[in-house]
Amino acid sequence: MILSILIAGVAVGSIYAMIGICYNVMYSTSKVLSFTSGQLGMLGAVFGAWLIGDLQWPIWIGFPAAMLVGVVFSMITEFIAVRPVLKNLDQHLYVLSTLALALMVQTAAAIWWGTEPRPFPTLVGLSPAGLAEKYWLPVLVCVLTMVSVDLFYRKTLWGRAFTAISEDADAALALGIPERRMRVISYVLAGFVGALAGFAGGQLLFAFFAIGALLTFYGFIPIAIGGIGSNRGALVGGLTVGILQQIANYVVGGVFVGVVTFALFIIVLVLMPQGLFGSTVARRV
Amino acid sequence: MTRSTTSLLRLFALAVGVAALPFATMAQTSAPPIKIGWLVALTGPNSSPGIGFDRGIKYAVEEVNQAGGIKGRKLEVVTRDTQGDPTKAVNAALELMNREKVDFMVGPTNSGEGLATTPLIARNKTPSMVYGVVDTLIDPEKYPFTFRILPSNKQWTDAAHNYILKNLNAKKVALIGDATGYGTATVNLSEQELKRLGATISYKALIEANQSDVNSDMQKAKSSGAEVILVWSDSAALNARLINARAEANWTAPIVGHPALGSGAIKPLLTAPGNWNAVYNIGYKQTSFDKAGKLPDETSKFLSSVVAKKVRVDDTTLWWIAAGYDAVQLIRRGYETAGSSKPEDVKKALESLRGFAGAYGRYTYTASNHNGYDVNDIVMNRADSFKDGSYTLAPGYGQ
Repeated sequence: MILSILIAGVAVGSIYAMIGICYNVMYSTSKVLSFTSGQLGMLGAVFGAWLIGDLQWPIWIGFPAAMLVGVVFSMITEFIAVRPVLKNLDQHLYVLSTLALALMVQTAAAIWWGTEPRPFPTLVGLSPAGLAEKYWLPVLVCVLTMVSVDLFYRKTLWGRAFTAISEDADAALALGIPERRMRVISYVLAGFVGALAGFAGGQLLFAFFAIGALLTFYGFIPIAIGGIGSNRGALVGGLTVGILQQIANYVVGGVFVGVVTFALFIIVLVLMPQGLFGSTVARRV
Repeated sequence: MTRSTTSLLRLFALAVGVAALPFATMAQTSAPPIKIGWLVALTGPNSSPGIGFDRGIKYAVEEVNQAGGIKGRKLEVVTRDTQGDPTKAVNAALELMNREKVDFMVGPTNSGEGLATTPLIARNKTPSMVYGVVDTLIDPEKYPFTFRILPSNKQWTDAAHNYILKNLNAKKVALIGDATGYGTATVNLSEQELKRLGATISYKALIEANQSDVNSDMQKAKSSGAEVILVWSDSAALNARLINARAEANWTAPIVGHPALGSGAIKPLLTAPGNWNAVYNIGYKQTSFDKAGKLPDETSKFLSSVVAKKVRVDDTTLWWIAAGYDAVQLIRRGYETAGSSKPEDVKKALESLRGFAGAYGRYTYTASNHNGYDVNDIVMNRADSFKDGSYTLAPGYGQ
């Protein structure tokens, strides 16, 4: 029983962690927490199921096509919901703009795809040591994503440019880093990561229009717990939320899962507002 | 007056009488129609039942009108698509009552909308038939002109409890619902009733409809020694996960419960088709196949006549069409018995119905009971048996 709880918790926590990474990548160049992150996961699951499951496209075509949908939607998010409000970040207008866009895409998915959950196809067909693909695939993909994003930030010029912009956008601009182009590229990357989260987790969550809202909320909590901007924090936070949800469901029942999750969120915010891995920023006064 | 003048006058009177005949006929056929306001979700997430009911209603109205209407008055259906939205349902109900001045209201087709519109319709004293199952929709004192066609939620739970205790001879029940208002209320209702009937609730759980993994819940239910799993959820995702989790737990206890356990949306979500064995959903005797694969004779005739009129049945459920048909037949009987279209008279006429046989079921209404569906006509169906719009009876019905 304990093993079953851990396996399920780690699997779903990995999906939350990847959505958290998606939030972080968008935040790194725009200082915007985009509420379309969860919908990227939904699009990855829905289009993956449609292209590979319904249209029977081979995985090597269906997978990049599903990722392309996430990338395009993320670029639309940057253009429509983020760029126009960047001048008024202190008014947090991005909350309304990204939420509105998220609701629009959710409704569009409900109309086109339908409001019933549909199956996501089996991709690899392997169950090592009896572990179903729906459990090991999200974990594997999450680990690979973490490592790749980490390497990207530390070893590539673009990654360093992202870091520079996130630390001091004005200084980065003064150094000639093309801020807008970097922001668009970061949203491309975020779109890929978000769609990948939904694609890898499709067998667990189903291809369902409603998972977007779920991932938006439960993908936000890991970065609040782990520290906004910290991908390691998103991983720890995501796994913590996933496992805690399963434990809460087992011990107190499904009705209280949301209560327990948000209680953890509030406790961490009160005790460590910067998150587990976030850093306090010194400000000259 | 001379004889020739009298004859002329008689001839003139005869000519006038003959000439007036067409006008008399016109006067007869120009009796105002009986307007039925039809509140239905034809589009949106809850539209599947509405589409089925709509076909039954339109078929029934055509049948009644072709037979000359009700005492010479044709039926006219004024349809409003509520899209499953209570706000739209309220606006549509007000428009139908105030502008269209309908004589009778049918719908809405789900409980959420019904809870919003029923008080308004009742205040206007418009007789109405509702399709929602939530128990509070019907109250002969609060809503004296509102009647229900479908069974109430209490009747559903009673039928499931009877099947568990009498047909399956199970005493220990694992009771699971989703964490919605419906699931929570129905689980509590079931728990109360089952305990009263001498059963033991060995496990009880409320699960979020979107919870990705329910294996631990199923393990706990199995460990509790439950002999049957009673499920109250209309979520295809949750129901499919529970069915799959039962298979993964290598557990053969039957799953009994909500009609949605037999939904077509579940099949593609199952990890193996055999997982759907020993799953029994609420169904209706009139529209269920027996072991030999036959529908009741009256239903077969109904189905043949519906198909002959080119009403589609292949993409919907037969009982939805039958329930739509019955709404119109009940209205017809109400007006015929009342002999008038006054709401009070129609209400009394409906309350005098005893065992009125429809295509979907039998109805008995009284002054103190406006839930007319006969609970003995509610049965359990094999969830994996859907074919040609109907299900097969679950084992144990003495077929």
